[in-house]
Amino acid sequence: MTVVSAFLVTGSPLPMLRPDNPAWAPLAQGYARAAEALSASKPDAILLYSTQWIAVLDQLWQTRPHSLGTHVDENWYEFGDLPVDIRVDVPLAKACIDGCASIGVSAKPVDYQDFPIDTGTIVADTMLNTLRVPLVIAANNVYHDFASTERMAAMAVAVAAGQGKRVAVVGVGGLSGAYFDRSIDIATDHVRHPADDAANRAFLDALCAGSDAARAAVGAFASATKADMGMKHLAWVLGGTGGFSGAKVHGYGATYGAGAAVVEFVLA
Amino acid sequence: MTKGSIVAGFIAPHPPHLVYAENPPQNEPRSEGGWEPLRWAYERARASLEALKPDVLLVHSPHWQTLVGHHFLGVPKLSGRSVDPIFPNLFRYNFDLDVDVELAEACCAEARAMGLESKMMRNPGFRVDYGTITTLHMIRPQWDIPVVGISANNSPYYLTLDEGVDEMIKLGEATRRAIEASGKRAVLLCSNTFSHWHFHEEPALPEDMTKEHPQSYAGYKWDMRIIELLRRGEVEEVMRLFPQWVEEAFAEVKSGAFPWMLSAMGFPKTPAELHGYGTVIGTGNAVMEWNLEAAGA
Repeated sequence: MTVVSAFLVTGSPLPMLRPDNPAWAPLAQGYARAAEALSASKPDAILLYSTQWIAVLDQLWQTRPHSLGTHVDENWYEFGDLPVDIRVDVPLAKACIDGCASIGVSAKPVDYQDFPIDTGTIVADTMLNTLRVPLVIAANNVYHDFASTERMAAMAVAVAAGQGKRVAVVGVGGLSGAYFDRSIDIATDHVRHPADDAANRAFLDALCAGSDAARAAVGAFASATKADMGMKHLAWVLGGTGGFSGAKVHGYGATYGAGAAVVEFVLA
Repeated sequence: MTKGSIVAGFIAPHPPHLVYAENPPQNEPRSEGGWEPLRWAYERARASLEALKPDVLLVHSPHWQTLVGHHFLGVPKLSGRSVDPIFPNLFRYNFDLDVDVELAEACCAEARAMGLESKMMRNPGFRVDYGTITTLHMIRPQWDIPVVGISANNSPYYLTLDEGVDEMIKLGEATRRAIEASGKRAVLLCSNTFSHWHFHEEPALPEDMTKEHPQSYAGYKWDMRIIELLRRGEVEEVMRLFPQWVEEAFAEVKSGAFPWMLSAMGFPKTPAELHGYGTVIGTGNAVMEWNLEAAGA
């Protein structure tokens, strides 16, 4: 079996930077439980897609073997810095770049010192990847739709299978998109609109019911809640896993009003 | 104290290709050149800026996008290496800039007084965005004039366009008040491309100018229409067209720098000078100037 685990996680740095904040603690605790599950699945690599790594030209893949440094988020800099210590499975990433040609996608490697790896990738790697498994990181090309993102994830898994590797599939992004655009008391953070909160919870229920229910729900959910990047991070999970039979929600909450969750999928 | 003033405003777009093409020592990648008409446009703008002798440059960049309010660089000296996340092959720039924190704080305070959510960015490890750096490098490569860096609040995208533009107009008014109280000679920089329709794949040699042309004829026509209106001083008509322009040309001016700058300058009716126009990966870029001092505004 190539895919040994799969997760949908928030890319907000807030639960990582302030895990003690009561409003963000459930997400931090959810991350800890998901990290245990990922470790137990013993992957050789993590196939990670973050909505926050934006590309507009070509499909980009990280191929720098080791990125080390400190990242300061452009929005949440006041809450602290994010340490970066990310290792990449370069042979697998390069094979994915080659594999993009087979699905008609123009792709490029990214191997540059001080490249600003996005906040979502850093948060997921720090919070979820306690084993320090190497990553394969794919950018979110804003012109790629849900279906093409699924195809790319499926291609990546097929390439991993060709290398005989066990992989975890991780989609990094949020749920409902409405955030507080004025300063708030962070202890009272909550999903901004009650309707979004209800929609988030219903959508998480759909994930728990399996991939058919998730597919049926995602379009309406994304448009009703202005969900993060049309939920393309779920497309990555759907494409990578080929479907799931259920899910467990390890954590749910708000990140400055926007919906966020940590979800582990039950593989089909 | 002498009353401060905005002596000029420039539309100063930020494709990192222009820095790449120029091969400055701060940028690691080397090029064979390219995009010369736009770089010559910036040469003319640089000469004009030199003659103006400003005390401070204020730049509003769409690549520092903030969700909660309008943010201002608030650290006296910022340095580091800025790698463009979109074009890392072209832009890996070692920056070192001085911030006019006093004026930034004044702008922030005025914005707050006008009811805008505003805050100072005090984290010394902050990586300045490539839009800010490219615009500043292209207009003043000597880096010898202090800077006020202003984020692009997400309101034009998150709220309605009208509400977002209203925020930027208020921000412009706040900026003008702060400058007038400072006693300084200020130049404003609107770091925006016009038509933002672009190619989705990069040529093997990025500076191969045989591959460079407008991506969209409709976008090109919008660029020419807007430039012509601005050259005639018809700012009111441009603002009337603004929503249609943004929609049909996918214009980057939506991010707020354009209404911010025009508002700060009092929506000048004096003709803007076109220093030059060119495309970069298909997008339309104009370098334009309102010399308010020469116009006696």
